[in-house]
Parts: sequence; structure tokens; C-alpha cells
Amino acid sequence: MSGTPTDVKRARATGHDQRIADEVLRIGIDASAASPTVLYLLSGIAWLLIGSVAGVAASLKLDLPDWLGGVGPLTFGRLRPVHLNTVTYGWISLAGSGMIVWLMGRLCRTEIRWPGLLYASAILWNIGLAAGSLLVLFGYNAGMEWLEFPLPAAAIIALAFVLFAVSMFRTFADRQVEHVYVSLWYILASMTWFPILYVIANAGLYQGVGEAAMNWWYGHNAITVWFTPIGLAGAYYFIPKVIGRPIYSYYLGLLGFWSFALFYNWNGLHHLVGGPLPTWAISVSIVASLMMFVPVLAVAVNHHMTALGHLQSVRYSPTLRFVVFGAMSYTAVSFQGSLEATRSVQEVAHFTHYTIGHAHLGMYAFVTMVLFGAIYYILPRIAKWEWPYPVLIKAHFWLSAVGVMLYFVALTVGGWLQGLAMNTSAVPFLDTVQQTLPWLWARSVGGSMMTIAHFIFAAHVALVIYRAGPMRFAPAWFRKAEEGAAE
Amino acid sequence: MTLLPAAVVIVVVAIVGASAALAAFFWALRTRQFSIKQLNEGATVIFDNAEDIGTPTDQLFKNPPPDKDERNAH
Repeated sequence: MSGTPTDVKRARATGHDQRIADEVLRIGIDASAASPTVLYLLSGIAWLLIGSVAGVAASLKLDLPDWLGGVGPLTFGRLRPVHLNTVTYGWISLAGSGMIVWLMGRLCRTEIRWPGLLYASAILWNIGLAAGSLLVLFGYNAGMEWLEFPLPAAAIIALAFVLFAVSMFRTFADRQVEHVYVSLWYILASMTWFPILYVIANAGLYQGVGEAAMNWWYGHNAITVWFTPIGLAGAYYFIPKVIGRPIYSYYLGLLGFWSFALFYNWNGLHHLVGGPLPTWAISVSIVASLMMFVPVLAVAVNHHMTALGHLQSVRYSPTLRFVVFGAMSYTAVSFQGSLEATRSVQEVAHFTHYTIGHAHLGMYAFVTMVLFGAIYYILPRIAKWEWPYPVLIKAHFWLSAVGVMLYFVALTVGGWLQGLAMNTSAVPFLDTVQQTLPWLWARSVGGSMMTIAHFIFAAHVALVIYRAGPMRFAPAWFRKAEEGAAE
Repeated sequence: MTLLPAAVVIVVVAIVGASAALAAFFWALRTRQFSIKQLNEGATVIFDNAEDIGTPTDQLFKNPPPDKDERNAH
């Protein structure tokens, strides 16, 4: 049986029990999502490798300023935005889209509609990314952080996103389940918000101070309306699904979503504390940032109470370990972000490496780790091939986790010391730069560890896709299971 | 673009965005997404009879191993 509606009806009509009917239905749904999901995931992983190499190279150039300094496209000012754009609009966006396609079928209990739009979207998205990255490398930079891609490349990506959203909304419209699960709320909201945000920000409507305000309205809201919902949608599905236990409080889940929608989109202007904007506008943004404690606490309590009592599973399950690491990082980065928005913290942390550490705690330790966990769950179900080498998963996890923590701690401590030094008028500026050097080396080591982890992960993904390596008839857990240990 | 057309665009987009959010909220109320029954049962929609509550699912090929013909059929 392939899982078509006819097969499901036949299974029910011929006396098969409900369990088999549900199994058949799920196989059909997963099959409908398989090809577009794999296309998105593989594209995302390819951009992860490119972005990681660009990131390490950019980081090393802070340690070795003359290295590759004579080659225009490889200067820091070009490599760094390529890193940012390829890991955010490439890796997280494409792999996140793959996860969303797969989740959409499961949460709507229906086959994916209009998959042709998804193929077109993935191809266009890759073209836009390649064009944008090359343009930036050769010096055609739109000049705003998070919005470096010139308009033609950004327009292609916007079109790709709209095609993706149309297919997803069509699938949602045909759903076979009445209730909208909390992950779906995040997914549907992100697919409504992000295209509007991206088009408005790239439309070139603003000049001067207004442009700076728009830049950070966009920069923070890209995290708000696209990257964070990807991570939360994944965590709300995979933690309870892997454990086999509903989330602790569904009420809190929905409270978290609606308060998230209410408060988070006001946060962007806290990036411009001390800038030439009306004080009230920045104050509103700071207040909204502090109000983020409401949705963050709701999500944190929910995720952690769901996992409580099942922490043993985290020792075994790759998916659970990556996703729980991501969920814990979400709590940490959100608390840090709310406090970081206040003027007293900004006085020290602003314009320092502290902010870069915070960004990586969010985009890597939270969103990326959730995506890794999701891929460890999804890919074997698509390829019908278990991960062949658990030791590679273990290496991937520890290199990523230790790498990002080293990166975060180094830039947090180094950035704070840098800010204190910059606030001391007696310290020459050059001294404030030189005192950051050991921390920047630690950053490069952490980034290199993450990059090695990504290549290990990519190689393992290739083995699963090609069904290579030893055939496993046991789950690819981190350690050999004791009887009932992961139950 | 001068300030006035930009402001018009922003206001129009803001009204459209806010209307969409309100429409989604009232749609959710109308379809009883927040009814006590749905809130109580909502958390269980990710489970079904084949992957029921109480069944950890991160053990795809635990038991029994699929036979070779079945695997090759996929």
C-alpha cells in the first residue's frame, strides 16, 4: 500500500484496525512531502557548508588581518555578509522550509498540495542566493546589515518565498484535522509575516535615519517572524513526538504564541539605543523587549516540563538531544536579549563583540540545533535508511555544542571587557582592539569546530540519501540502549 | 521616494497587516480553536493510533527489521 486515500479507506473497510489505517495514511502523507523536503534540506545543507567556510575565513581575518587581504572578493567586508546571508537565507531558511513542508503534511494530515510550486520555489531560492552571494563578493552590496543582497537577487528570493507559502496555505486549506496545532500557528504566521517584511524592507522606501530604523525593524523582525518560528515549530512538534507525551500545557503554548505575536515585532529599535531616533520610539521597543518574558516563559515552562521525567531519553535520542539543546538555548538567548535591550546593558555591550555572541546563541544554539534534530528525525523516514554511524552523530553534536558555547562565551566575556574598555576614556582605542585578540582566536576555534561538525553531518546525510554504510536494524542512538532505558 | 508616499505605503501595509491578524484571531474564535474541548485535546493531534501517546518514536527500525523486499519497494 502506498498510503493513498483509497488505500486508507480499503484498510478501514476490509477490517484492518485503525492503527494500520493511520499508519497507511501517514506513509502516504510522508511520501507526498518527501521529494520537496529532500530538495530543500539538501540545498540548505550545501549553503551551510558554504556559509561555514565563509564564516571561518571571515573570523580568521580578524586574527590575521593580512591574510587574503589582497584579493577583493575575499576581504572581510565581503566575506562576512556572504556568511550571514548564506547561513540565514540559505541554510536556516531552506532547511527550515524542508522541515515545514514535512510538518505541514503531518499536522494537516493531508498530502502536500501543489508540489510543483515547491520545486520552483527551491530552485529560484538557490538561484537568488547564488546571485546575491556572487554580487556581494564582487562588491555590489545594498549596504544594510541583513539586507546586503542587491534588489534583483532579493526579488528572486521573495518570489520563491511566495511560491512556497502558496503551496503551504493550499495544503492547510485542505487539511483533514480540525484543530490547528501550536506548531502550525507559528508556521502559518511566519508565512504571512515574512514575505511582507522582506518586500517592504527591500523596496527602498526610506532614506537617512528612517533607513536605519527600517534596517533594524527588519533585522530583528527577520528573527521574529521567520527564524524563531522555525525553531519553535520544530521544538513543539519533536519534543512531545519523540518522547511520546503531549506538551505539558497546551494553554501555555497558545498563550505563548499570541503574546509572541503581540510583543516581539516591536523589538527592533532597541538596536538603535543612543541613535538619532525619538527617545519614545526606542523606549517602546525596550518595553516590548522586556514584555518578551511572557511568551518566553510560557515556551520555556512548556518545553522543559514536557521533557522533565524523560531526561533519560536525551542521553539516547539524537533528535531529542539536539532539539532540547535548542529549546534550552531559546530560553537563554531570549532572557539575555530582553536584558540586553535595556539602556544600562547597552551602554557597555553596544558596538562590541558581545552582540555577535548573542546572535550566534540564537541563530545557532537555538534554531540550527533544532533543525539538526529535525533532520535526524525526518531523513531516515524519507530515505527508509537509518543513520549508519551513530558515532558521527555524537561527533556532530559535541563539536557543534562545544563549538558554539566556546564561541558564545568568548565573545560575551571578550565583548563585555571590550565595552568596559571603550567606556574608559583613559584607554587608547587601539588598546581596546588589542585586548579582544585572544577572544577572537577563541571565536575562530569555536567556529572551526562547528564547521568540522557540519562537514561530518553533510557526509552522514549523503550516506543516508544514498543508503550507503552498514544497514541498521536498531535505532541510531548515542549509546547502546539498556532494557527500557529510553522508554 | 519622498516621505509622504513612503508613509502612505507603511500605513496601508500596517492596516492590512493588523486586519490580517484580527481576521486570523476571529477565524480562530469562530472555528472554536480556543474552546475548552479543543484546548484539552489539541496537544494530542500529533499522535495517532499507530504512534500513540506513550510511544517514543525515535526508534524507527527498532523492531522488527523490515524484510528486504519491503525495503526495496520504497
